[in-house]
Amino acid sequence: MSEAALAQKIDDPGLDETAAKLTPERIRTTINRVLQQENSARLKAFVGTCVSCGLCSDACHFFLSHDRDPKYSPAGKVKQTLWEMIRTKGNVSQEFIVRAATIAYTECNVCKRCVQYCPFGIDTAYLMTVVRRICHLLGVTPLYLQDTSHSHASTFNQMWVKDDEWIDTLQWQEDEYRDEIPNLRIPLEKEGADFFYSVIGPEPKFRTQLIGQAAVLMNECGVDWTMPATPGWDNSDMSMYSGDLEIMGRIKRAHFETARRLRVKRVVMGECGHAYRSVYDVGNRWLGWREMPIPVIHALQFYWEMLKEGRLKVATQMEEPCTFHDPCNVVRGMGLHEMARDVVRAFCSNFIEMEPNREQNYCCSAGGGVINCGPPHTKTRVLGNRVKAEQITATGAKVLIAPCHNCHGGLEDIINHYKLDVKLVFLIDIIYAHMHKSNAI
Amino acid sequence: MHSIYTFVTGPLVWVAFLVFIGGLAGKFVYLTSLAKNKDPYVFSYLHLKYALRSIIVWLIPFSTRNMRLNPVMTVVTFAFHICLIIAPIFLLAHVIMFEEAWGVSWWTLPDAVADVMTWVVLASIVFFVVRRRVVPEARYVTGPKEFVILGLVALPFLTGFLAYYQIFDYQTMIILHVLAGEAMLVAIPFTWLSHVMLYPMIRGYMGSEFGAERHVKDW
Amino acid sequence: MTGKLALWAGLGLLTALFVWPTLFVGPALSQDDMTHIITDAFGVKQRPASVFVHDEHNIKAEIEDDCWLCHHFDGKNPDPMDSSAGMPCVDCHPVKADPDQTPLMQAFHKQCKDCHLEKKAGPIACGECHVRP
Ligand code: SF4
Ligand code: SF4
Repeated sequence: MSEAALAQKIDDPGLDETAAKLTPERIRTTINRVLQQENSARLKAFVGTCVSCGLCSDACHFFLSHDRDPKYSPAGKVKQTLWEMIRTKGNVSQEFIVRAATIAYTECNVCKRCVQYCPFGIDTAYLMTVVRRICHLLGVTPLYLQDTSHSHASTFNQMWVKDDEWIDTLQWQEDEYRDEIPNLRIPLEKEGADFFYSVIGPEPKFRTQLIGQAAVLMNECGVDWTMPATPGWDNSDMSMYSGDLEIMGRIKRAHFETARRLRVKRVVMGECGHAYRSVYDVGNRWLGWREMPIPVIHALQFYWEMLKEGRLKVATQMEEPCTFHDPCNVVRGMGLHEMARDVVRAFCSNFIEMEPNREQNYCCSAGGGVINCGPPHTKTRVLGNRVKAEQITATGAKVLIAPCHNCHGGLEDIINHYKLDVKLVFLIDIIYAHMHKSNAI
Repeated sequence: MHSIYTFVTGPLVWVAFLVFIGGLAGKFVYLTSLAKNKDPYVFSYLHLKYALRSIIVWLIPFSTRNMRLNPVMTVVTFAFHICLIIAPIFLLAHVIMFEEAWGVSWWTLPDAVADVMTWVVLASIVFFVVRRRVVPEARYVTGPKEFVILGLVALPFLTGFLAYYQIFDYQTMIILHVLAGEAMLVAIPFTWLSHVMLYPMIRGYMGSEFGAERHVKDW
Repeated sequence: MTGKLALWAGLGLLTALFVWPTLFVGPALSQDDMTHIITDAFGVKQRPASVFVHDEHNIKAEIEDDCWLCHHFDGKNPDPMDSSAGMPCVDCHPVKADPDQTPLMQAFHKQCKDCHLEKKAGPIACGECHVRP
């Protein structure tokens, strides 16, 4: 069996065991509720307009990585899921639901690259979120992803981080980096600060150095900032991806309300893509806000601002050849690619572009909640993104910059599986290492 | 002959155009009111400049990355759509019929050019059929319906061509031609041929979202 | 296999159906007199000249003595006492007409078709008159 074929049937109790309990009646009513009541105009327009030309296929890294297997093409995924649900008016089997969930949750990163390839701009990513919504309402969600969503629901963060652990972690990082910057502070609960710095669950959990490094950056730039000591500090949002829109709304509201409570002018968020999508694109809309109710800027924008204002100064440049991965959610999602390049070029003397790049970049294959579907589905996303490995190899770069947590996780697995000779870093890693630190001893 | 011909070129034309225009208008009203009720984002995010940007860019050959990745398909689709729209509207015989019925007329194509355009349309449809049979990603999502629709589009051109050259019985052919044209018009609102109207609608919305909200190109 | 046979048989039948009427059209056209509408006034011609066998048409239509019906001076109210026979049509119906005139092509089309439609006889579709040689 080929590598690709092996990736086909995956055991995930979150899918198999839950689907086994479904009655045809429940499947039918749930599908029709989502198709008829929750979604309508865009769904009808997208599905009714698709001329099934298959031109969207070249957009999808899954399709390209599986040697152009049409089952992985965007339209192919819609055919295997929504078309059939619509055609049968919701009369589909348990196995069908498992397959649909597998496709929608693990074989599509809702990266929206296909929108840029379909002549009509049909949003297959949106269609996949409709499928996810159906699966969520049926209770058929990948186990790990559901666990993440449960964590959101009960702790308001993604990784079951307890309230005191959070504060401890911040104080630990403060301590840690004081060795280098004696006057370093991580101000907690400072009302009226200029901004609150929000991060995603994995930062306090296992990428703590990112918080410390960010604190060094804040210190050096002399900004008036704070972090909350209460739930609401986590900007991430896997419920948005699992289809649990109700929980998504709650955690987004908690995040925005925390900013309000602290009376900050805006929120600056760390290097995470999906959190940004949730803030400016999905969560805000669910809560009834056209834009973000309080300005939220991404780390890339913040670095760029600091650099342009002259607060962030370059001390040395990294000479190793490096390349930059454009995370879908902040590039195709927010157009931050030029700002990112300005910052990268300032700190790296030997920057090489991937091809294609900017808004045309291939997704990391971890986004859209796929990485949170956990170990059972790792192979799916790694084998489904061979093109990313090839794209990275072609640059000849030794350092790969990915300013997004999910991208980071996905790329790490890709680097290991395809044995790529690159070092993966966040942009803050480079900034931290090469910035001018006037307060350091 | 007289009664069939006057029927298909008279009342039936009216019916066809009414269904075609009424159907599209109805679809437009239905979708927009649905969007107003259930998908209100659509209107909050519509942005004229970026809607037009997207619509126009995607009408320029080779302006998008995907068009450059599939040059043959790009040439064929553009040629096909241009000929499909231009040839019937500016065909001398059609214009003369309008002139005799309503006293209005407009510029016409030389018949020789219309002839070539008809060939282009028919050849493109053959290309599409073959492509849908042999290109895996197209084949996978293509069903019998797609071939029926392609047939519906091909038929007015095929019969028009045969009638023009008076191959087979002319009187039968001309009536078939008129009927085929009417069938195609009627099919537009009820099949994916409605992309004639949904193209600007979807592009307009997605173009606005990409351009105004996401600050990025949608091509 | 039988499916294929049926398909070919069907195709054959269809062809026969379309072709046989044409067998009867050929010999009827051999008239010494006028056989086509005079089209010298048009520049580049898009279609073959319209078939019009003057004498035969008039016998069939029983208007041999009513030249004025077609050779009129006032198309809307042709006057039996006032025939324009002998005058080229283009004299009053230039190819590019003033607003108060009927241009030549329209004049021809109107002249023939209106009457054919009224009498429910004679050709009315393009290719019925503009027959390919
Ligand atoms: S490119 Fe668009 S129209 Fe063509 S198959 Fe894909 S989604 Fe459908
Ligand atoms: S992974 Fe991206 S390109 Fe592929 S179908 Fe999903 S949204 Fe489209």
